[in-house]
Amino acid sequence: MKCRVKLGNVVAGICLAVFSGMVHADNTVSNNALPTAASFYTNNYQLLKSQSVNSAPILLAANEGNAVQSQPDLTPAAPAAEYSPPWLTGRKAHQYLGLGTVLFAGLTALAAPGEACEHNCPPQPAPRETSGTTHTRLARTTAALAVATVITGLIYHWDDFHLEDGFSDPDNQHVMLAGTGALLMLYAINKSAKSSVPTSHAGIAELGAASMLVAIKLTW
Amino acid sequence: MMQRKWKVAALLAVTLLTGSVYASAGEYSLDNDFMSWLFDFQRTKGVKPVADKQYLEECGACHFAYQPGLLPAKSWEALLNDEALRKHFGVNAELDSDTLKDIRDYAIKNSAGNSWYKQSRKIAAATEQGPVPLRITGLRYISRKHRDIPEKMVKGNKDVKSLSFCDKCHTQAGKGVYDADTVNIPHYPNWDGWFNK
Repeated sequence: MKCRVKLGNVVAGICLAVFSGMVHADNTVSNNALPTAASFYTNNYQLLKSQSVNSAPILLAANEGNAVQSQPDLTPAAPAAEYSPPWLTGRKAHQYLGLGTVLFAGLTALAAPGEACEHNCPPQPAPRETSGTTHTRLARTTAALAVATVITGLIYHWDDFHLEDGFSDPDNQHVMLAGTGALLMLYAINKSAKSSVPTSHAGIAELGAASMLVAIKLTW
Repeated sequence: MMQRKWKVAALLAVTLLTGSVYASAGEYSLDNDFMSWLFDFQRTKGVKPVADKQYLEECGACHFAYQPGLLPAKSWEALLNDEALRKHFGVNAELDSDTLKDIRDYAIKNSAGNSWYKQSRKIAAATEQGPVPLRITGLRYISRKHRDIPEKMVKGNKDVKSLSFCDKCHTQAGKGVYDADTVNIPHYPNWDGWFNK
């Protein structure tokens, strides 16, 4: 059993390495090297120069008005129509992880062992299994996906969340509902995993999954 | 027993959530009703693409035919009238009265406040109060999304020149898709950096 668990960890590690490698390769199509201090300097020479030599604030695209000297082309421009977006980016990873979370939440519910009880329960034939069953494995995978979704959302969509836009803003609603949904699912798993007797947790988890589903729909 | 109680609670919560979204729909006086949006699995993340041939031809003859969902109805009312079109951003863009009426009606019907598309909903919420925005690039939402783009990539870029030319960088702008993954800034393929892609 121990050997199987270790093998599982190794396989998961390899999968993660392959996945992150694919993301990196996809993002560095035209630049195969990892960014170094030197490459950052050469790629942003004009910008750094304007900051250090002129001590002027960075001119941003939104500041219409001041003319900017034309820059030498770094790479030839591809016509917009011919551009095909990368199939995997951080933002798309967030999207896939979110959909995966809801899918796995559904599978976890389907694999539930049956009605639980908290009071006047019949005697259990064997100690309650809180790991190793299909239901628990699926639940833990769902939790991992939910956490990964929240993390990737924070990294790649941080600039979409603005408190000053209020609750009616769809992105703010998405963050609040999805974050609450993920927390509810984690709470449900934790509640069940720590209990030695069958405990009611399905409703909380389903509420969490529903909350995530609504969050996805709002920004779909 | 407990489990059933939680299931009822979950069902109630979903109903409440759906209800709150439905209630907020009132603010948008929808052209597409809520139920059709709810059960439509097509992506509605950007703005509604232009489907009107006359709008595409008349507006697109001079500039990118900006989707009506990029501005609220009050902006289109201010922009699409005889007087305003005579000095349309420094150019005389007068139209005959029938064409103008059709285009204005189409723009208002599909304006930000009348659309379920996400970016339109954001624009509608952000422009509900305050002065009437006349420039898409002047919207807080749009300027905030572009504030980290160095000027060398837009004004200093001979193939872009201005934020007004959406379709120079947003490769699917014509379809109403403006998300960052579809952006290709001419000469700057790694504009978003290796980490943020």
